[in-house]
Amino acid sequence: MGPFHTPWLTFFAWIVALGCVLFSVIWAIWIYKPGDEDE
Amino acid sequence: MSEALVYSLILVAYLLVLVLVGLITSRRTKSVEDFYLGGRQIGPWVTALSFVAAYFSSVVIVGGGGFGYMFGMSTLWIGAINVLLGCTVAWIVLGPRIRTFTQRLKTMTVPGFIGERYRSNFACIFSAVIIVLFMIIYNVSILKGMGHIFEVLMNVPYVYGVLISCVIILFYVSIGGYLAVVWTSFIQAWVMGIGLIVLTIFAVQRVGGIASANQALASIDPGLLNTPGVWGWPGLISYALIVSFGVWGMPQLVVRFYSIKNLKVLKIGTVVATIGTCMALLPYFNGALARTLFPSLGSPDLAIPTLVKTILSPFGAAIVLAGVVAAGMSTFSSVLIILSGSMIQDIMKKGVKKELTREKSLFWGKIGSAVIGFVSLAIALRPPALVLTLTAFAWAVIASTTLWPILFGIYWKGVTKSGCVASMVGGFVTALVWMAAGKPFGIHGFIPGIIVGFVLMILVSRFTPKFSSDHIHRIWG
Repeated sequence: MGPFHTPWLTFFAWIVALGCVLFSVIWAIWIYKPGDEDE
Repeated sequence: MSEALVYSLILVAYLLVLVLVGLITSRRTKSVEDFYLGGRQIGPWVTALSFVAAYFSSVVIVGGGGFGYMFGMSTLWIGAINVLLGCTVAWIVLGPRIRTFTQRLKTMTVPGFIGERYRSNFACIFSAVIIVLFMIIYNVSILKGMGHIFEVLMNVPYVYGVLISCVIILFYVSIGGYLAVVWTSFIQAWVMGIGLIVLTIFAVQRVGGIASANQALASIDPGLLNTPGVWGWPGLISYALIVSFGVWGMPQLVVRFYSIKNLKVLKIGTVVATIGTCMALLPYFNGALARTLFPSLGSPDLAIPTLVKTILSPFGAAIVLAGVVAAGMSTFSSVLIILSGSMIQDIMKKGVKKELTREKSLFWGKIGSAVIGFVSLAIALRPPALVLTLTAFAWAVIASTTLWPILFGIYWKGVTKSGCVASMVGGFVTALVWMAAGKPFGIHGFIPGIIVGFVLMILVSRFTPKFSSDHIHRIWG
């Protein structure tokens, strides 16, 4: 059982949403370079 | 102050703000490109949050609460997949290329892009007709949803609810065009977000905290707490895919990438949109919480309205109500401007071959959006059974028709005109027939529609003539 008596698999949905926010920041700062779309 | 007066005051203030935005933006809408794309000068916050607002209609908020009520906490995964596939991945995969390629091809609409990318008037007109036909039906369902919200929460007769919503939207879309749509949607996203957060805070407080709500849910049925729980994997995954991956073919969302100012701005937009879309989890969460408070509601769709009326003060309830109405209005207005573009820019110019000057294009764009709005209104006042049946088809049919031509069009240089046409027609027919056949095996028409569209796109493109290197160079630069 995860936090707040939530099963881990259910709680993981919140983690996925949070992970998307973190990944979008990483993508915007370090991964994407304008001009990549021409390749 | 009476409850009805508080509702009315907040709602009237909110509607006045929308009218004001319409008036201000109308001064900046001078060309056709302004009317349909805001002159491609929209900043990251407005683009991103207007994307979020257009994504979630009031049907999603009320219906999402219903799903949470029926199936419990596992439905949080629908919201999570919305964030992952419907927003973050969509912005990363589609955003930069669509922004760049549509500017190079000088197109303002999704059918326009398909027509230019594949050099096919048929593909352009076919997709425009499908979009106009099925989006009007989608619009009717949104208006109907708003009418019911006014009815349930404010005791305003259905007809008046539909009329008030539609007339205000028509006003600001017709005079302000896309700029009015994105700016009002930007405001509406904030109203929706604040409304949902307020509701969630009070709901959690009322159930005595998340842990005790979870224990209460488990005591009703442990399946309401587990994943996949009472819904099961097939239902949960296929629904999450439809409302997330389907977004990739929905013109009212894809067009946000056309209009963003530049690619640097798009990076910020991706982060903002992702944060905003996280609110997608809240209707499902609140629906599940409502199950612990009201275990025997007559209909799951009453979960959110009942929660709002029971736990919030009239002021708080009015804010949530404004949020739900905002969700419907932003989606309706976004669809309206898309329909006007498809009708005037694609069907009239390319189908009927009617040449229009820039001034006349702008004039007819405004008239087009008004006409489509009134048609939607007329149908929504007394929707016939056929419209309600077709509403379930709309999302599947549009996404099955346009998703692959958009995606392959920006990633595969070897895709051909015949491949595109085969994919569109095959995807459309399959989704329509599958849904008309009553969704065999319980699978939504979107799934077979995109599978057939995908296979046809690759197979037919392999064996038909490729585009010249000049054309490819024009797109890829």
